Amino acid sequence: MAMSSAREEHLRLEGVGVSFGTVNVIPSLDLSVPKGEMVALLGPSGCGKTTTLRTIAGLNKPSKGKIIVGGRDITHVPIHERDMGLVFQSYALFPHMNVLENVKFGLRMRNVPSREAESRARQALEMVQLAHLAHRKPRELSGGQQQRVALARALVIEPSILLLDEPLSNLDAKLRDEMRGQIRSLQQQLGITAVLVTHDQVEALSMCDRVVVMRSGHIEQSGTPTEVYERPATAFVANFVGRTNKLKGTVAADGSLMGLGQVLHAASKPGPGTVDILIRPHRIHVSDGDGAGDAENRVRGEVSNVTFVGDLVQYTVSVAGDEIVVEESTRRGQKMLSTGETVTLAWSAEDTLVFPENQT
Amino acid sequence: MIAESHKRELSAGQLAVVLLLPIALVNVVGFILPILNLARYSFNRARIGGGIEDVFTWENWVDLVSDPFYREILFNSIWVSLCITLVTLVLSYPIALYLHRATGPWKTFLTVLVISPLLTSAVVRTYGWIALLNDNGPVIGIIKALGLPSPSLMFNIKGVFIGLAEILMPYMILALLAGFGRLDPRVEEAARTLGATPARTFREIILPLTLPGIALGCLLCFVLAVSSFITPKLMGGGRVFLLATEIYDQAIVTLNWPRAATLSLLVLIVFGAALWAYSAVMRRLD
Repeated sequence: MAMSSAREEHLRLEGVGVSFGTVNVIPSLDLSVPKGEMVALLGPSGCGKTTTLRTIAGLNKPSKGKIIVGGRDITHVPIHERDMGLVFQSYALFPHMNVLENVKFGLRMRNVPSREAESRARQALEMVQLAHLAHRKPRELSGGQQQRVALARALVIEPSILLLDEPLSNLDAKLRDEMRGQIRSLQQQLGITAVLVTHDQVEALSMCDRVVVMRSGHIEQSGTPTEVYERPATAFVANFVGRTNKLKGTVAADGSLMGLGQVLHAASKPGPGTVDILIRPHRIHVSDGDGAGDAENRVRGEVSNVTFVGDLVQYTVSVAGDEIVVEESTRRGQKMLSTGETVTLAWSAEDTLVFPENQT
Repeated sequence: MIAESHKRELSAGQLAVVLLLPIALVNVVGFILPILNLARYSFNRARIGGGIEDVFTWENWVDLVSDPFYREILFNSIWVSLCITLVTLVLSYPIALYLHRATGPWKTFLTVLVISPLLTSAVVRTYGWIALLNDNGPVIGIIKALGLPSPSLMFNIKGVFIGLAEILMPYMILALLAGFGRLDPRVEEAARTLGATPARTFREIILPLTLPGIALGCLLCFVLAVSSFITPKLMGGGRVFLLATEIYDQAIVTLNWPRAATLSLLVLIVFGAALWAYSAVMRRLD
C-alpha cells in the first residue's frame, strides 16, 4: 500500500463524463492509476465500467473532462495514435488472418520492418505459449487460445496501457483460474500499467493492486483488495464484493447497536436510526456448545438447513426469526452439524459491518 | 403407439426425395425442357417468314463465331454489364455499410426504403428515367441553366448505364448486406486501437471481410445486367445492341427463332462462366 502510493502516476481521468444521446452514463469520474499497477473497475453490468474503459481507449468520446497518460493530455488524440492494447471480451481477432498475422497487425500499422515484426510477433506468441499455432486461423482455436492470441496481439505493440474488457468471462471456470494467474504474471513481468474491467469480484481481488468499485456511473470505493473487502465504504460495496448476511437493526441514541433481539458489537457504526447489519458467512464461527473464544458477538440459534458444497458446508441458522447463513470449510473427519441442533454463532466486532438502512 | 411408429417411417434420405420432388418437377417442366428445346432450335434452320426447318445444321453457331456483329454484341454485353456492375457496386457499398451499422427503427426504415423500388416494375422506373433524362427533361435543363455543355443522356449507352445502375442497386445492397455477416464492429475497433488509421482499417479489415458480399452482389448484378432487356431497349432507343435486345429482335422482329435460340444459349454460357468465376473467388477467400 505504502509502495503503490509512492509510484509515479501514469493514467489519470479528471472529471470525465460520458453521455449517449440524452443519457448521461457517467456524470463525472476521477481516477488515478500509478505506473506498473493493475487496477480493476468492478461493478454490476450497466455501472459504466466498460464505458470508462472504452473512453480511455478513445472508442467513446467523453462529453467533458480530461484523460491524461504519462503527463500528456490525450482527450482529443485519435484512437490509432493512443498506443493502447485493448483485449476485448469477444477477443475480436481478425477472422481473415492467421494467428501470426493477427499478432503482427499492430506492428505493421507502426511500420516496424517486416523481419523485426515477424520475430517480435513470434516472441509474443511464445510468451502466451501459442508459437506452435502461428499459422492457424482464429476459428480453428479454442476460446482460451483465442483469448491468449488477443492478449499477445495487445502486448506485442508494447502499449503504454493494457486495457482488458472482461477478458475471462467467456472461458470455463478452470481455464479462468489459469488465465488469471497468467495475465497477472505477464503484467507484472512487463511492468505494464493495466486496467481490468470485470463484474467478478474474485478476478478483481486476486489480479489487481487496486480495486475501483463502480455503481451507476460513479465510484463507490477505491482501494486495495483488502481495504475494499475488509472495510467496505458502503453497503453496496460490502454486498457486491463477497457475500453477506443482511440483518435489520437499530442504533440507539446512546450509540448501542441492537440486532437479532440483543445488543451487538461493531467496530464502527453510523448515527442513531435504522441500520443494515452485514456479516460475511465465513467470518461467523459456529459451534454446538456454548462457543468458547473471545469473539465479541455471540448468539444462539437452531440449524434449519445444511448444504454440503464440497470444499464448503453451508448452515442456515434461525436466530430470533432471522436466517443467518454460515460457511465453514470442510476437513476430513470433521463432524457436521445436523438440522435441529442448537448452536452458538460467534463473530468479531470488526466483522460486523453496519450501514444506514437501504443503501444496497 | 409403439406399433404405430413402426408402421411407416421415412429415412432422412427418403424424406428429402419426397420433399424435393415437387420443385424438381417444376424445374424439369419449366426450365430443363425449354432449354433442351432451345438447344434443338439452335441446330435447326430458319425459314423466311418465321418457320423452322427441322434439319441438323451448325450454321447458327458458325455464324455466331464468324460474324463480327455477334462477336461485338457478345463483348459489348459483357463489357457493359461489367461496367454497370462496378458502378452499381461503388454506389451501393457505402449505403450497405451504413445500413449494416444502423440499428433499431431507423435501420428498418432505411431497409424498407432500399427495397421499395423493387415494388415498382422496371418498366415504370425506366419510363421515369426517360422523363427525367430526355433532351427536354429537368436534368438537361439544370445542366444547361448552369451553362455547362449538355450531354445527351437519353437513347444512348449513358442512359442505359444510369437506368440499369439504379434498377440494380437494391439487389446489390441486399446481396452486400447478406455477405457482411463477418464484419463485427469490435473487429474494426480492435484494428483502430492497434494503430490502424480509418483508411487502413477499411483496406485491411473492412474490405477483406466484406469480399464475400461484394462477390455475391457482383455475380447477381452482372447476371441481371446481361439478361436485362426492358431498360436497354427503352433507354438505348434502339441504338444500343446487347445480347438480350438482340434475342428479342431476332425472335419477335426478324422471326429467326433458331438464331434467337443460339443467342439465348450463349447468354446461358456467359452465366455459367460468371458462376464459375464467383465460386473460384469464394474458394480463394476461404
